Amino acid sequence: MRNFIKQKNNSIHDLFKDVSKSDDFYQFSTKSVNESPIYFSYYKSLIDEKKIHHHLLPYIQSAEEVFTELTDVMNAIPIEDREITSDAKVFINKLTKGYIFIHLTKTPEKGILVNLSNGTKGYRAFNDAENEYSVLGPKVGFVEDLDTNLSLLRRQITSEDLVFKEITKGSLSNTRVMIGYIDGIANPQHIQTMKQRLEDLDMDVIFDSSILDQIISDNANTPFPLFMSTERLDRTIYMLLLGQVIVISDGSPYVIAGPTSIFNFFISPEDYYSPWSVGSFFRLIRFIGILFSILATPIYVAVLTHHYAIIPEDLLTPLIMSRANVPFPPLLEALFLEITIEFLREAGARLPTKVGQTLGIVGGIVIGEAAVQAALTSNILLIIVALSALASFTTPSFKMSNTIRILRFPLILLAAIWGGFGVTLGLTFILCHLIRLKSLGTPYLAPLYPFRYRDLNDSFIRSSLSVQDKRYTFFRPLKLHRYNVKKHKDIEDDYNNE
Amino acid sequence: MEQNNKENYLVSTFFVFFLIHSSQTGIGLLSFQNTIIENAGHDSWISVIITGLSLHIILWMILKMVSNPTKDLLKIHQISFGEKIGNFLSVIVIGYFLLLALTVFRTYIEVIQVWVFPMIKTWELSLGLACLIIYIITGGFRTLTGLSFLGVVLPSILLLTLYFPLQYANFRNLMPVFNHSILEIAQSSKASSLIFIGFESLLIYFPFIKHPSKSAKWAHGALAFTTFIYLLVTLITFVYFSQGQLKHTLWPTLVMTKIVEMPFIMRFEFIFIFTWLLVILPTVCIPIWCCTRILKKITKIKPRKSLYTIMLFILLCSIFIDDRLKVDALGKFTSEVGFYFIYSYIPLLFIIYSLRKSKFKSSEY
Repeated sequence: MRNFIKQKNNSIHDLFKDVSKSDDFYQFSTKSVNESPIYFSYYKSLIDEKKIHHHLLPYIQSAEEVFTELTDVMNAIPIEDREITSDAKVFINKLTKGYIFIHLTKTPEKGILVNLSNGTKGYRAFNDAENEYSVLGPKVGFVEDLDTNLSLLRRQITSEDLVFKEITKGSLSNTRVMIGYIDGIANPQHIQTMKQRLEDLDMDVIFDSSILDQIISDNANTPFPLFMSTERLDRTIYMLLLGQVIVISDGSPYVIAGPTSIFNFFISPEDYYSPWSVGSFFRLIRFIGILFSILATPIYVAVLTHHYAIIPEDLLTPLIMSRANVPFPPLLEALFLEITIEFLREAGARLPTKVGQTLGIVGGIVIGEAAVQAALTSNILLIIVALSALASFTTPSFKMSNTIRILRFPLILLAAIWGGFGVTLGLTFILCHLIRLKSLGTPYLAPLYPFRYRDLNDSFIRSSLSVQDKRYTFFRPLKLHRYNVKKHKDIEDDYNNE
Repeated sequence: MEQNNKENYLVSTFFVFFLIHSSQTGIGLLSFQNTIIENAGHDSWISVIITGLSLHIILWMILKMVSNPTKDLLKIHQISFGEKIGNFLSVIVIGYFLLLALTVFRTYIEVIQVWVFPMIKTWELSLGLACLIIYIITGGFRTLTGLSFLGVVLPSILLLTLYFPLQYANFRNLMPVFNHSILEIAQSSKASSLIFIGFESLLIYFPFIKHPSKSAKWAHGALAFTTFIYLLVTLITFVYFSQGQLKHTLWPTLVMTKIVEMPFIMRFEFIFIFTWLLVILPTVCIPIWCCTRILKKITKIKPRKSLYTIMLFILLCSIFIDDRLKVDALGKFTSEVGFYFIYSYIPLLFIIYSLRKSKFKSSEY
């Protein structure tokens, strides 16, 4: 941004020529009482033209007094967001944000900037969080407009402790980026780190917060998401409550938050809306799903390539029968099916919804059935691959579910080379990678390592609300206590009904 | 000098438990039974207890040396023998740790070659394992500790498999108790010291503990836990095998897991061996990490360089040790060296250190 301005002209007068080059830059003039012209210059694309006609022109044209100074004009304008400036930097910044420039000479040195922005034109008005769907709970999602998002958050946490800090980023886009946290809960060190990393970043256009996510992440080469990214309001509130720091950028419906632990990605807000036993069950199902999704195909390849002795006799017969006509080694067979599933998923994601559904049926049933009949794959592998694809979708976070799907490919290769040894080698590698990872300087594998016994009550399972009345310690919040759940007086611990 | 270990490189005190336990438990657990019965026969479970108890004294000496103020082996050497001789001795200790790592590394590959892949080349497995080890050690001590922790917690599920041989237990195998002379039991104790060595790496990583003064209970606890596990495995082996069978069984622990049968899995020893990777990794990585640490402090060689050199050395060695007999000989040699290191060198060092320490004023640390 700084360089961008420096290379160019540094007075409004010079800048005006550059600005006029664009055809959506308009200029018109009107006459006031003493016949001296008043010029209006603006980008038509950014201005709400109704506002010009209703809120600006009538007050200037019908003014009784004589305009000789800019201050006179300014006083006649009934809009709060206005200022007189001769600073080229302010001029260009505001002009490209939907301000109209009012000046008294044709090529001016100074003028008044008035906010007539068309705001959220073209943006979604609401988002019902379809990408992170849950049956229970509010279905409010963030939209592209930053101010709407802030208002959603403010209405949920009506406390002065909710603080937003604004940073402008992007040398071409000048995107407003907000860092949000709850003062007195979030660790100042995390806030400082997040702020520092955002300030250090240099980008031309910030398309989405996920780009910020990648640039400010602790390890840019890891497939694992180090920052949570969500479009759900309730989830964001929950993260704020736990002491995480959130980043919202204008034009992106996704909020990113850090620090995170890997367990956060397997938590769905719905877990908290169901009774704890039900919530825990679903969470366990998710973890089993992940293990299955990562391991099922590699184990199939390892066992059928190297260790068929491991399969009991009764199970061996159906396995051999289904593979009898398949001419390929298990590795090729598995890669063929896995890649087919990835094709289906990728095609489904790119196509319009209605075509996508048809494709799912055609791909899933027809191709699968035909592949087995043509003896390209075995029935059992088809079941395994389909199940593990299904299992990978149980992960509530889209980014994490992508990671999990990728992880199985290196494992399949290792399984084909070294069998079970390869699989354990790969898994240990992943485990060590997880131990090494940090999110905003906080260990990623917490509370497993470093081990925090008390924080485990909201990791693999989700324990009762009366048990988890404290925040995670590994986010190092300033205040651990969250709430008190007291037993109702009308419930009695009386076994004898006396 | 140890005070400038940065706060975020330190590990919580209770991890001493996992560090010590995981640096002891390793490849020895698979095959120690037929070494220890050579002298004391079915009474050698007493030897395991004796060795375990005697090591508490050694551990006490180590803790005495490294604490007040917190220091590591290098500093102890320098205090005891002066700068030059001290550093020279530290370099020899590098050789010792290298030997420990190499033994475990090569023996694990041997196990895989014998039990799972008879045709596989040593260099192939070594290379795969070496990459993983380099990745772990470049993560620093924190990663190493994490691995030790998970390397104890995750494979602990394998302890459940001990239930299966118990179904065929013959408790009369243990009778009559105390049927051997004290000398025989002592000789067996010496033989069983192999499985306990590894915890002396505490001498090097001690300054990385957050509250060193509180670590003693965890360290002794770890030693007691290791002794308990070994005792348990020894007893179960003795009731499952007869002494005659055991003499001819090279890997009794693995043979015992062979009988585990579930509706969807046979040949459980495969799973056991693969999971055992997690158990042996700390026993390889911690000594290698200690080597790089000593080298860094004495010669200012960057850990990255020394790590690659060490791994190359281990790789080459493991390729040259190409048959069963050589692997066996390596194991015996390491066991011997380890025994004398622990039972002779450390007490000796302790005595010399205690004598010399009084001449050092605390300000000189």
